[in-house]
Amino acid sequence: MTRIVLNGREVEADPKRPLIDACRAHGQHVPTYCYHPGLTPVGSCRICQVEVVQGEMPARVVVACRTPVVEGMVVDTEAPKAHETRRECLEFLLKNHPLDCPICDKAGECDLQDFSFAEGQGEGRTHEPRRELAKRKSLGDVIVLDQERCILCSRCVRFFEDVTKKPQLAVAERGAQSIISTFADRPLEGNYQGNIADLCPVGALTLKKFRFQARVWNLFKRASTCAECSRGCSTTVEVLRDGEVKRFRPRYNERVNKWWMCDVGRFAYDGANVPDRLAGAVVRGHSGLEHTDVADALDSVRDVLLANRARALVVSPFVTVEEGEALLALAKKIEVEPVFVSPKPNGLEDDLLHTGDPCPNRRGLEQLGFRAKSAEEVLALLGECECAVLVGERVAALIGDGLRELPAAVRLIVLDCTALDVPAVSVCLGLATYVERAGHWVNVDGLRGPLGAARRAPDGVRDTRALLADIERRLSAAEVEA
Amino acid sequence: MSGWPTFLLERCKLAGSHRLDVARANGAYDVLAKLLKDGTPPAEVIAVVKESGLRGRGGAGFPTGLKWSFMPDPARDSRPRYLAVNADESEPGTCKDRVLMEQDPHGLLEGALIAAYAMRAEAAYVYVRGEYRTSYDRLQAAIDEARAAGLVGERILGSGFSCEIHMHKGAGAYICGEETGLMESLEGKRGHPRPKPPFPAGSGLWGSPTTVNNVESIFNVPFIVAHGAAWYRTMGSEKSPGNFLCGISGHVERPGVYEAPLGISARELLEDFAGGVWKGRALKAWIPGGSSTGLLPASLIDTPMDHDSLRDAGSMFGTGAMIVLDETACVVRASEILARFYDHESCGQCSQCREGTQWLHQIFARIERGQGMADDIDTIESLARGMAPAKTICALSDAAAIPALAVVRHFRAELEAHIEQGRCPLRSAGAVAAREGVPA
Repeated sequence: MTRIVLNGREVEADPKRPLIDACRAHGQHVPTYCYHPGLTPVGSCRICQVEVVQGEMPARVVVACRTPVVEGMVVDTEAPKAHETRRECLEFLLKNHPLDCPICDKAGECDLQDFSFAEGQGEGRTHEPRRELAKRKSLGDVIVLDQERCILCSRCVRFFEDVTKKPQLAVAERGAQSIISTFADRPLEGNYQGNIADLCPVGALTLKKFRFQARVWNLFKRASTCAECSRGCSTTVEVLRDGEVKRFRPRYNERVNKWWMCDVGRFAYDGANVPDRLAGAVVRGHSGLEHTDVADALDSVRDVLLANRARALVVSPFVTVEEGEALLALAKKIEVEPVFVSPKPNGLEDDLLHTGDPCPNRRGLEQLGFRAKSAEEVLALLGECECAVLVGERVAALIGDGLRELPAAVRLIVLDCTALDVPAVSVCLGLATYVERAGHWVNVDGLRGPLGAARRAPDGVRDTRALLADIERRLSAAEVEA
Repeated sequence: MSGWPTFLLERCKLAGSHRLDVARANGAYDVLAKLLKDGTPPAEVIAVVKESGLRGRGGAGFPTGLKWSFMPDPARDSRPRYLAVNADESEPGTCKDRVLMEQDPHGLLEGALIAAYAMRAEAAYVYVRGEYRTSYDRLQAAIDEARAAGLVGERILGSGFSCEIHMHKGAGAYICGEETGLMESLEGKRGHPRPKPPFPAGSGLWGSPTTVNNVESIFNVPFIVAHGAAWYRTMGSEKSPGNFLCGISGHVERPGVYEAPLGISARELLEDFAGGVWKGRALKAWIPGGSSTGLLPASLIDTPMDHDSLRDAGSMFGTGAMIVLDETACVVRASEILARFYDHESCGQCSQCREGTQWLHQIFARIERGQGMADDIDTIESLARGMAPAKTICALSDAAAIPALAVVRHFRAELEAHIEQGRCPLRSAGAVAAREGVPA
């Protein structure tokens, strides 16, 4: 480590990283546009100006993102000259910016807006017409480009060069006519396009799916983990006031996903906004599945389990480690081997993040002693038993349509987010989705990722572990009576 | 108008000077041959160039020998090493390198080979401005001739020294004359200048040690090596030794490229070489060294043409290309043209330059159209200060800001008159127009 003096305090800095990282590591805020810690620094936006004194040389104002850390260097991020240079730079950046913040999706989380408020000047001086360019240029299925808002930081260009290693974007034209473009206007490809909307420091690159959906200051954010593969990327779940999930975004995690996530995971929030939720319970009556009290449904569960000896327990790979522990206790109680349904690889694996394994908690369940079984194996198992308990989000969907073919003689007890109406089902109890409950998943590398309850489950949905505990209690009481 | 030794343009005056037979009969490649025959240590070549005080003729005036000495020791650095000859001469007003390349390409090749020998470069790249077709063709023909004569390529003149010379044609971007932009362009990328550090000597072409020199700088080298540093220092001034090629253009009787010692007064160049301001008119302003150096008023025409004197006068030596404006010239119109050039040529990487060059162009154009506003002059000044000095990756931003500041400094009254009258006061006065029958 190298020792430098930062705003009057002696601190340690990593000599392999540019000065800007040392400033940030020690809590000194310096604005940046082109700089991003995950991309090659190019030093082109010139906003990260700080004052540096090295040895006998007079104080200089330099860009912190391209300045190496040198032993004994004295750095002042708040020097008047540094502030002045940053203010000038902001004026240039705003010269052609359309200032359409009121209709811009980035407003509220826009670096240009934030830094302009922090250190810009209150008034524009330009009498010139602003640049008129394409306002809604489609870059494929995921991204829309507003060329007028673009400040040409080139983060998006470098993302495809540095991270996916498949360059797709470039700066075309020159000088003030520069625009971000793909070659011959071809659409962007690949599973990582959404990241450039996160990287964009202004509202130039926006997600088609998020455009005009929410003002970002109305979003409630909670740290969570992506459910779409066993990588378990760290994410933020962002929920609008009425509870609808509006956005999944990557959350920095050095050991898992750095700053990135794939589009499959990013746009998986439709799955979290499940329609037709089962709030409470249904049991099979004379006219099919009928709504009932959760307590009555739990009694039915007890009766079914006690009446049949050939039993099975199949869980979904979405159950958390904590739920898995409770399920193990149930398995012991009803004397079955704990099993989870393990769907086939989805064919989306790549060398960046996506593993192709759609089981977010495979590792955690295996560590607890659950055995993985394919959907076919699960169906075969169910076909041989008299009654079975299926537990966890998407469990029925992951086992698949084969459940319809099961004879009504097999009594199924299903704990899932939606009701399953097939002849074999006796009881269904509603569960919370992974954006509504807390817990942990263990990813492919054995790292634990948290689930944050970003919103409340619908009224009537009870906590999974509480339901399992109630079933166990009922079974124990029945044993005592017997 | 002489009285000093001249050497740069001597061979150029001969018929067929671009051909190898003519050039060799008149001394070309003699210095290289002697170096190779004597086995002179490369460090000695660098030392003599360093002692000569030769300053780069591409605009910045950086000492050439010192630049060469930044190349890492080949004993400790096994990477290939390159020389790049900057022949992308595109500074407005500058046309000196073109004369050398068209008339004496073998002189340039000899200089490049000596420079490559001194820095132990295995290859030299000549980056020629795309519009310079004759320069390109003549240089390529010269390389072909020289290769056939064993002067370029493997084991030159039977010695152990090998050096390949490659040509590259630019595609019309001014920014590719900036040394790191030139390297990017040579590598086949957009000509976006690279942030420094690393400097080219540490990491240049393809990440290898590289030195980029201007054509005229390289062209001086054989003469310095042949006659010694002391001889070179008999010409020019103490801090800017030697002769330079002055391209004079604009409102003069005899525009052209002339050889003169550094430190000669601008008046001497204008009056003795270029025949004075044309049509018997008075001098209004002059630009000393290409469009990026700030213009100076007529009152400073006695300033010596060297790096330090021009810096003290508030301008720069630049490429030594003098542009002369007579009394009928409108400095606002001139500024608009210059600002348009930089707006067009900014690569667009840095915020200040991308937006600032456009903004300056827009303001000057508006004043010229008669739509100037009261705050325009203040805005020009503060904009230009936000663009320079050294606020961006390369010096193009400075190059755009300097002329704008110079106009405000020396011709504020004329700018104000434009803004107040809403038209060009020179035209509205009609004096010149009436005298010479030019429609107003």
